[in-house]
Amino acid sequence: MSTYGFLVDLGLCISCSACEAACKTWNNVPTGRNVRWRRVIDQVLGVWPKVTTYGVSMACNHCADAPCVKACPSGALTVRTKDGIVLLDKTKCIGCRYCESVCPYGAPQYDATEKKMSKCTMCVDRIDAGKEPACVDTCPTGALQFGKLVDIDHEGVKQIPNFAEPSYTNPSIRFVPKEG
Amino acid sequence: MNTLDANRREFLKTSGTALAGAAVLPGFLDGIVRKASGPVPLADTATQIISDCAWCGSACGMKATVSGGVLTFVEGLPEDIQGGGKMCAKGKAATGYLYDPDRLKYPMKRTNPVKGVGVDAGWVRITWDEALDLATAKLKETIEKNGRDSVMILGLASPDVWARFQNCIGTSNRFDHWDECFLANRVVSANVIGGFVWGHDFANAKYIVTFGWDVVGKAKVVWARAVTDAKKKGAKIVSFNPYKAAGTSVVADEAISIRPGSDLAVVNAMIHVILAENLYDKAFVEGLTNFPQYETEIRAHFAPYTPEWAEALSDVPAETITRIAREFATNGPAIAPIHKKTPSANYANGSETTFAITILNVLAGTIDRPGGRFFPRTHTIPGIDAIVPPPAYPAKSGVDIVGRHRHPFLKAVGSGMFSCLADGLRKNPGKIQMGIITRYSTMAFPNPPEVEAELKKIPFTVVCDIFPNEIIELADVVLPSALYLEVSDLVARDHHAPYKMTVVRQPVVPPQFETKPLGSILLAWGLKAFPEYWKNPDGTPINMGYVLDEKTKRAGLGANFAEMKAKGFVKEVAPFVPRTSFPTASGKINIYVKAFADAGFEPLPTWKQKRDVPSSQYPFYLLTIIPPMHIRNTTENNRITNEIKGTNEVFINVQTARGLGISEGDTIKVRSRVGEIQVPARLTEAIRPDCVLVPHGFGHQSRLMTAAYGKGAKDAILVPGQSMDDILARKDVGGAACIMDAVVSIAKI
Ligand code: SF4
Ligand code: SF4
Ligand code: SF4
Repeated sequence: MSTYGFLVDLGLCISCSACEAACKTWNNVPTGRNVRWRRVIDQVLGVWPKVTTYGVSMACNHCADAPCVKACPSGALTVRTKDGIVLLDKTKCIGCRYCESVCPYGAPQYDATEKKMSKCTMCVDRIDAGKEPACVDTCPTGALQFGKLVDIDHEGVKQIPNFAEPSYTNPSIRFVPKEG
Repeated sequence: MNTLDANRREFLKTSGTALAGAAVLPGFLDGIVRKASGPVPLADTATQIISDCAWCGSACGMKATVSGGVLTFVEGLPEDIQGGGKMCAKGKAATGYLYDPDRLKYPMKRTNPVKGVGVDAGWVRITWDEALDLATAKLKETIEKNGRDSVMILGLASPDVWARFQNCIGTSNRFDHWDECFLANRVVSANVIGGFVWGHDFANAKYIVTFGWDVVGKAKVVWARAVTDAKKKGAKIVSFNPYKAAGTSVVADEAISIRPGSDLAVVNAMIHVILAENLYDKAFVEGLTNFPQYETEIRAHFAPYTPEWAEALSDVPAETITRIAREFATNGPAIAPIHKKTPSANYANGSETTFAITILNVLAGTIDRPGGRFFPRTHTIPGIDAIVPPPAYPAKSGVDIVGRHRHPFLKAVGSGMFSCLADGLRKNPGKIQMGIITRYSTMAFPNPPEVEAELKKIPFTVVCDIFPNEIIELADVVLPSALYLEVSDLVARDHHAPYKMTVVRQPVVPPQFETKPLGSILLAWGLKAFPEYWKNPDGTPINMGYVLDEKTKRAGLGANFAEMKAKGFVKEVAPFVPRTSFPTASGKINIYVKAFADAGFEPLPTWKQKRDVPSSQYPFYLLTIIPPMHIRNTTENNRITNEIKGTNEVFINVQTARGLGISEGDTIKVRSRVGEIQVPARLTEAIRPDCVLVPHGFGHQSRLMTAAYGKGAKDAILVPGQSMDDILARKDVGGAACIMDAVVSIAKI
């Protein structure tokens, strides 16, 4: 099990995308290539007028059983032993896109300009400096939280509608479901 | 953002629509290359500078990380309670504006005499002196030959330096977007509570009910944080909205569908219930308002507005209206916010809606109370005229081309009227000989093609802007303005200011290329055009540094601006002392506004229908939103926010779409009585079946905005403009622009 995880409170996410803009600037991810490490997916459940709406902010889930790592033929994707963060070493990435095809969350994204993959690092540099990830740090409503997985584990559930079956990858994300 | 309807897709490959490669135009507008690469250095290897964000009025305090002279990152300033250490997507995308390769970089003049949106102006680079000499010669010549009113300004009345320049010109033809924003709220607030306020103490409210204003969905951090804080503390949130994916509806305990433009009916019915059942805050209403004096008139006025009557107009069940009214009045502190645009500008009944919502807050007894709408406690920062008094300004005629002077309350405010501009220009051919436009796009108007057709007839236009939006295609001279990240100022808090707080604005990097702060531009232009107003008594030019030092000192913020820069943020935490008298003539709040009655308007909020209602030809209500990662017509070219949302679509209810044979992604022709656009269909269960929604801000036509150009369509093309005659005919006390007041047909192409 990885040390850290994200906790997403669905009743509080307003789809403002501040998290995505924070990720983009902190990590200096190139624009215009549709490489978006974090993105917000709007959910509309039910039939008008009885609908439940919320945003889900999603990035890499730094899975405990990461299929991307297993699929990577070049050893570019690795699990950091001290905390389970799944990292991509671009110098080793050969752009075969195997990880992309096995990740159920669209986390590793192909940068067609560099011909390499690109992926959320959980802001490993910030974590090492004792800070929260950039996306979590700016979330105005507190919908996106970060913590030790042991702490957030009982604050949320593992599965929500339309989320890929978690037993397959054991993702480090929990959700506070939206009532109603 | 991607929208996935239930049971259609998993969170698989959420790649959305691939962005087409942006066309890069050859030319002299050479790109700027951001030097940093790789992750942002952590604070110990970089400098952090305190400043503030300028994309919305709340101006969240921020810390900017600058490394090797390059801005790399911005984050919130925790001690500033506007943002509380958080920033929204617009603010976070700071590097995207600063290093936008399309920024206006040098003064330019047109060589192609043929003007029009989409027509290449043949820009050539000129020096600041050439640009300002040209602008000065035209300004003097125009005033001399055709009089002061032949110069038209499209720009805000502030800041102080800009006001001084406008006063030197002395025209009465100055217009801005206020009628599309909070003009109606301003008129109503001035006459009911004695002044306009931004402050809403959501965090301490126990009951929040929103009509029209999607306070959370706009994603201003100050409000998004406060409303969700209230929610975490157990407050109940009720949102009336025909679109349930709007932010406030998303976080609300109850998201109630309402027929567009009928909010006034529901609010009046809530007032009916609160009065009939005597649920209002008696101490507040009887002690601090004119209710005792006008009780008979007030009760008689609201008596017919029953919940059953409102149900027929709004589709909100009468029992729901009654229940919400009772809960609102008895679970305080309660607040019904009214800020801007919505609800005050959307529909022809916007002023009345604003008036009714204001009264709802008064009845809850929360004006200037914890959990209510409150007057800001701010530092008083003097303007330049107080520091360097000008010679007497030329007198203004007080008569303008749209006819603001014909309306007593709009004349008093002296702002707004973009919605009437095309009509005003059309009715006064040849009157305007010169235009000066600051920071406005033609996308800011209803029916932009109509406005563009009139604006291009103006013989000479100077545009001062940051980005090359479509208005520069109607300009003769372009003056490139600096960004908030490159200028100095003092910004007193007013959005959420229970005590005095001021944050510094300081350059985190020097102005890029040849851009200049607006103050420097106006000083340089002023010295050429109106030298006596821009010099000290001893004949030396006004020193803007001295002015800023004096402002700092006189506002009690420090000995000089350098000291303020070192402090970054000044706050004087003090207990919040609720007002016991209000800044009206009588000191009491006016529920019954006699001034309105005396001028021939309704003294109490009176039901009126919106302007355009569905017909067999145009069966759908048009709705618009500004997506939360954008600010109206400004941020769409930022590479970061553009990537998050770069284009628009038409949201259609799933059942409605099926009935019309429309599938996801089909190209749809959306048509109103004034225009037509084409956008892809996006099917959703989150919208009323009788409404369609087209997000605002897309469809940029300026080729110089290479990221935003040609993506999406302008919702405003569907929205009719109006005239002062229309406003006076409907006895609209606040001159609402009707920016969402349109009905449309939709058809698959
Ligand atoms: S910043 Fe927070 S509220 Fe905004 S989209 Fe991201 S998770 Fe949702
Ligand atoms: S979310 Fe995808 S990329 Fe991230 S660890 Fe899991 S499988 Fe790998
Ligand atoms: S943890 Fe860091 S890299 Fe991952 S989505 Fe958040 S900001 Fe981006």
